[in-house]
Amino acid sequence: MQNDIHSIGDKAREEISKASTLKDVQDLKVKYLGKKGILTEQLKTLKTIAREDRPSFGSTLNKIKKSLEDLISQQEEGLKASDINNKLKTEQIDVTVPGCYTRYGRLHPVTQVLDEVTGIFTSLGFSVEEGPEVELDFYNFEALNMPEDHPARDMQDTFYISHDIVLRTHTSSVQVRVMEKNDPPLRVIAPGKVYRCDADVSHIPMFHQLEGFMVDKHVRMSDLKGVLELFIHRVFGPDTKVRLRPSFFPFTEPSAEIDISCVMCKGKGCNVCSTTGWIEILGAGMINPKVYEKAGYDPEQYTGFAFGMGIERVAMLKYSIDDVRLFPENDKRFLEQF
Amino acid sequence: MKVSYNWLKEFVDFDQSPEDLAHAITMAGSEVEEIESIEGDTVFDIGITPNRPDCLSIRGIAREISTILGLPLKDVTTGLTNDDGAGPDITIDSPDLCYRYCSRIISEVKPGPSPDWLVKRLEACGIRPTSNIVDITNYVLLELGQPLHAFDLDDLAGQKIIVKQAGDIKKFTTLDNEERPLGKEMLMIWDGEKPVALAGIMGGLNTEVSESSVNILLESAYFKPASVRSTSKSLGLSTESSYRFERGVDIETVKLALDRAAALIAELAGGRISGITDVYPVKYKSRSIAVSLERINSLIGVDMEPSYIEETLSNLGFNVSREGDTINVTPPSFRNDVERAEDIVEEIARLYGYDNIPSTLPVMQMSPALEHKTQNLVKSLKLSFTGSGYSEVINYSFINPEVIDKLALADDDRRRNLLYVSNPLRQEESAMRTTLVPALLANLNLNLSRGERELRFFEISKVFLPSNERLPEEVLQAAAIYHKDKSNALWESGHDGYYDLKGAVENVLSNLNIRNMRFVHAGNIEEPYLHPGKSCSIMIGDIKIGTIGVLHPGVEEAFDISGDITVAEIHDVHTLLNNIPSKTTFVSLQKYPYVERDVSMLVHDNVTVASVREAIQDVTSYIIEEIKLFDIYKGKSIPADKKSLAFSIRFRSIEKTLTDNEVDKVYSRIVKKLEDSLNAELRS
Repeated sequence: MQNDIHSIGDKAREEISKASTLKDVQDLKVKYLGKKGILTEQLKTLKTIAREDRPSFGSTLNKIKKSLEDLISQQEEGLKASDINNKLKTEQIDVTVPGCYTRYGRLHPVTQVLDEVTGIFTSLGFSVEEGPEVELDFYNFEALNMPEDHPARDMQDTFYISHDIVLRTHTSSVQVRVMEKNDPPLRVIAPGKVYRCDADVSHIPMFHQLEGFMVDKHVRMSDLKGVLELFIHRVFGPDTKVRLRPSFFPFTEPSAEIDISCVMCKGKGCNVCSTTGWIEILGAGMINPKVYEKAGYDPEQYTGFAFGMGIERVAMLKYSIDDVRLFPENDKRFLEQF
Repeated sequence: MKVSYNWLKEFVDFDQSPEDLAHAITMAGSEVEEIESIEGDTVFDIGITPNRPDCLSIRGIAREISTILGLPLKDVTTGLTNDDGAGPDITIDSPDLCYRYCSRIISEVKPGPSPDWLVKRLEACGIRPTSNIVDITNYVLLELGQPLHAFDLDDLAGQKIIVKQAGDIKKFTTLDNEERPLGKEMLMIWDGEKPVALAGIMGGLNTEVSESSVNILLESAYFKPASVRSTSKSLGLSTESSYRFERGVDIETVKLALDRAAALIAELAGGRISGITDVYPVKYKSRSIAVSLERINSLIGVDMEPSYIEETLSNLGFNVSREGDTINVTPPSFRNDVERAEDIVEEIARLYGYDNIPSTLPVMQMSPALEHKTQNLVKSLKLSFTGSGYSEVINYSFINPEVIDKLALADDDRRRNLLYVSNPLRQEESAMRTTLVPALLANLNLNLSRGERELRFFEISKVFLPSNERLPEEVLQAAAIYHKDKSNALWESGHDGYYDLKGAVENVLSNLNIRNMRFVHAGNIEEPYLHPGKSCSIMIGDIKIGTIGVLHPGVEEAFDISGDITVAEIHDVHTLLNNIPSKTTFVSLQKYPYVERDVSMLVHDNVTVASVREAIQDVTSYIIEEIKLFDIYKGKSIPADKKSLAFSIRFRSIEKTLTDNEVDKVYSRIVKKLEDSLNAELRS
């Protein structure tokens, strides 16, 4: 009997070792160890054996069973591993085929620059205000010390809707609107579209500006300088040089134009800065008391500054864009660069 | 204004190079925009701001240089006096418009070409030389900033001058041989019978100095700036002369300029100079401005010595006296722009040098920046659109009125009521837009013509609708457009372009936490420029906020564009503000397992997905959690007027694990509802 089961075990081991697929191993498992398997059947014969032989027969049978189970799981693992290896050898994708997704759209560069500039000033406590784009002559000119028949009106080519309604030529029109509704202290920025009756290589009839102004007791011109330097260093980098030049705006006194060292040549002189090394970026000044009078503020009590910048201009300098007409054109190849 | 470096040297003895001089002038407030080298000289192009008419001459710029560099200014002398005989017959009828009129007669002149040195100076400053008499008046205009005019005395009826308004005279021919229509109020120079010049702007053809002139009458006057400006504007005629008068010449230089020109004429063209007539009805009054030294320093943010301030103002030609903290300043006659304390502050600041002003940060009480709800909403809308694949465009607010017709709007459509610009540059910019759509179509056209494909654009901008108020209604709209590229389907799904844009709109609205959006095809025409069968209203609950649809084929043709084009509009971005849930409240996550059942049916082609969904929802059962469409099929094996729809329905209870039996009950109610109300044939 012992010999019989030993030879069954040997035969089984041989067959299992030779099995080349997982299915064969499964089948052999059933054949030998299944409910009606050969070895299982042998176990059932235990009761027919002489009582004294039973322990040694049983233990032999269990050893063989255990060794077969070990062999089977060993074979299974080996075959599974080689199966995966085979799969890995044959399966392949073309990893260079373009990905499948919805491409992000882009924000217009004017929006991006406006967001950046607005963010800098709101971080300094400036609130955002808006005004109408079709504006009363009063807010666009009159209240800003530009009465009719004043030569300063020639500084801006104005689109008229009627004799007293214009397309605002600057966001400065928001100044008196805000002052009429609020008492100082004020810190306000007003971004938006403005219009000039001018179209050539370097002018477009609609562009964007951001106006900023601050009114309180004891605001100084040195504060204007400090705030604008802070702003310029944030946008163009801390090494940018800033220069204030006396100028004229009817609604500020003293007035200044603010130049920055040329972003292209770093001040050495190139065709962008007409070899001067400087580029004009902002107009600013201390708010003219005549504006306070129109707004009903006491000019003896309050002082303040105002500044305005062209957003397209800032964007052109920031991104080295050489043609302002690209902004309203909306060519996808342009929009996707920012 | 063009300014000769050599000419300036005649007034101030500086040794700065042209570049250094240009920098000094610029940093004092008159920007040198260009420096040009010409034969033997350098010419500056200087931008003179409107407040500084005193700088509109060589002497004026020289005066600035003398102040900046602290060097003396040499002045012009003529050798003429007030008592060299009788002057011409001058009358001012309108002293409110002409404050001073000076005149001399020069008899027996010899008109001819000007000498070389004069020709070169005029040319350097951009004025074309003609003949000596006229050239000299231009020379003095450039030198002293005072416009002059020479009349042929023998053409002046009665050999006299009267300054009065045009009155009933309707036309006048100026010396450029143009007939100008006159307004009643316009100030004219008359002789004994007729107008002979547009005061301060241009002389008349009838009294022009010519080769054959023998006797001339020379005019040097001060005309009221606003009067010259309004005449010049209404005639559209601006001259070197009117440019200076409308900004204000120095009334105290009027006589000097006359004498200077008369002396030069006698020198270069011969002739005898008559005595002077100086009619000066509105005398110059100087004004005194008081300003506190504290105010000057505190407004600039510096600490200047009183002596420095006094000296600076004196150098500018201002009369200064000090009483304690207050200084009283009397500006000279050529500085009409200096009116109040702030003007004095500016003078001091610019000569102190803006570069020398320190940089400080304002000291003020902290206060938070106010939240701007619309701006924040717009920002979030823009980010949702870009996240959905749409790029932002910013188009002009203008519209070509012809384009409105291409949209096939009804006659009474409000958007036809355009707000017109009264002085447009071109037809394209002659009105304000009432819709964002045409510009988006133009964006497609431009990009398609340049070979760009798969175009997704959006814009958030104002449109302008005429209203009963003084100003039009400015409405902030959002619009988006999609042009599907059918040739590039490799990785794009094959569905219609409409669903791409609709998905974007759903994405944008749900990003705002708006949950109850609906797309409702009411059966009527949504927009005349949209395909009636492929367009609908965008609703939040029962409020219509916009439209979406495929472009109408007729409109495609009108705009010369084709393809699969879908347009969506949100009619007023502010309405979204009112529909955004103000508060988000957390709902506990469901912990019991869900059961999913599919339902597949054949329905008539005109049964919408929304109506199936609604029918399912009508089976009010608290265990229906989610209804998802997963298949639409039309074609083979299905009757032509039918389609197959398949939904997956997820059931879940918030209180326990559902049994098959419970789900089956609801499921069979759903099936019955679909069969009853939509005539659906359920498929298994």
